[in-house]
Amino acid sequence: MKHTIHIIEDDSSVKKLLEITFKEYDFSFISSENKRNALVMFLSHNPDLLIVDLGLPDGDGKDLIKQIRDVSKVPIIVLSARHDEKEIIAALDVGADDYITKPFSVNEVVARIKANLRRNSIDDSIENRFVCEGLELDVNTRDVVLKGKLLKLTPIEFDLLKYFMSNANKTLTHKQILEEVWGVGYQNEMQYLRTYVNALRKKIETNSTRPNYIKTESGIGYRFTCNIK
Amino acid sequence: MKSFLAKYKKINYLLKALGILIVITIVSHLFRDHLDIINIALIHIIPVVVVAIHGKMKATFFMIFLSILFLSFLYIPPLYSFSVHNELYIWSFMIFAIVGWIITIQAKNLNTQRKQNELRESLLHIVSHDLRTPLSTIHGSINLILSDEKDLDKKRRDNLLEDINYASIRMERLITNILDSTRLSSGDIDLKLEWCDFEDIIGVALDEFQIQDDEKLVINIDELSLYWGDNALLTQLIINLFDNAFKYSKEDTKIVVDIVNKNNYLLIKIFNQSEYIDEEKLKNIFDKFYRLEDTNDISGSGIGLAICKSIVKLHGGEIRALPQNEGILIEIELPIIKRAKLI
Repeated sequence: MKHTIHIIEDDSSVKKLLEITFKEYDFSFISSENKRNALVMFLSHNPDLLIVDLGLPDGDGKDLIKQIRDVSKVPIIVLSARHDEKEIIAALDVGADDYITKPFSVNEVVARIKANLRRNSIDDSIENRFVCEGLELDVNTRDVVLKGKLLKLTPIEFDLLKYFMSNANKTLTHKQILEEVWGVGYQNEMQYLRTYVNALRKKIETNSTRPNYIKTESGIGYRFTCNIK
Repeated sequence: MKSFLAKYKKINYLLKALGILIVITIVSHLFRDHLDIINIALIHIIPVVVVAIHGKMKATFFMIFLSILFLSFLYIPPLYSFSVHNELYIWSFMIFAIVGWIITIQAKNLNTQRKQNELRESLLHIVSHDLRTPLSTIHGSINLILSDEKDLDKKRRDNLLEDINYASIRMERLITNILDSTRLSSGDIDLKLEWCDFEDIIGVALDEFQIQDDEKLVINIDELSLYWGDNALLTQLIINLFDNAFKYSKEDTKIVVDIVNKNNYLLIKIFNQSEYIDEEKLKNIFDKFYRLEDTNDISGSGIGLAICKSIVKLHGGEIRALPQNEGILIEIELPIIKRAKLI
């Protein structure tokens, strides 16, 4: 079945580029140019994924994300200008799953869309085991296996990896990770996060300066990438 | 000799003002009976104004002090003593100080405006020259593809498309740098200090480049603790350094990056072999963009390295470029001001 992407963007050239891309990659799509129309279209068409530009003519894209999050778990990808880190973080914190900065490459957009659609399809089942390209994590036995070899992780490293793997291909903000892994009240303790990500990378990545699993989203957070089909 | 001349240039205006003060003293002395004390006092404000228009508060107050000293010693009764009996004269001295102060402040404002104008001009130069180069690549390649679509074989076409892609990445990086440079050059920028992991920063910086072979890079990072700095700016610093190294490195040679923990500072070294090194130019490689005398020499890399310097300075560090083993070594020292406490 074809997936339907809902494009919410008021800039006609960006919209055109996205529409051409989706035709090429065999997605069906619907488009809205403002918030009000977007909400109506969303409720009537029930799309599989949303691409939302943060600056819309009749209001903030974040409000739209909040409204949609109240009624649906559909993946939402935010489109934003490069220097809007604060805006991106705010959008992720109100429920967006991922973001793409302008100017973007078409390949990147398609890759992100596919990853987010995939994540959504496995999201519903409660998982006790996460597997991703040679890396396996078992929630019950707390075993982590990399290419057949059992890894020794500290309890916090395990919790961190578990949170990453259960949210694979989703951009997580620093605040979200700190709150989830360390607890409420730790959301500004960046030194813990940086240190543990560094340590975890040394254990699971082949080359920790060019990581394949835990990608840094500079100024925003981290993303665990997983490309299994 | 050169440094002496440079110093002389710097205090040149002060010497001029001193000269004027001496001339004034001679004139006032000769015509003291014709000139009233009020006129003598008024002409003594001239050297103060001459110094004040240079916008240096300390120098202005030095000159005010000197003028008042001369006045009170030579003309204000009791003569030939520094004591002043009439309190009216104390008010005159205060007015001296206020006039000097106001002019100095105005001069300072004008100076910053002038600097901003200079910066704007060199930015315009970069925009017109350096953005045009990649733009013409894009324009030309697209025209070629559009004009004889059928004759181009796939390989040539892909080649052109890659050129377009590369040129657009260059343009994007340049635009980021231009935006940063206006932000950094305004001087009063707030650093967003946080704990930074240099290994992470290098990874992010490398993602900016399309590196065909990983072999070209040799990266040695010490077991580092976190560094207290501005993560976004430090990332930009490393990106600009890589950009420069990739641009000027010889083919089939390696780029070596070392990050060394030196207890109270962090030493970052980046080395690339290069065809041609002008040692004279290396000395001011980081100032190229701001030095207006050789505008012909300004290029996109100039702005990138100038930004490197600003970022390092904002972190209280040092940056220098040295010729070494047929290549260029850029060394950065960043002082460690705070250490992370972990659980």
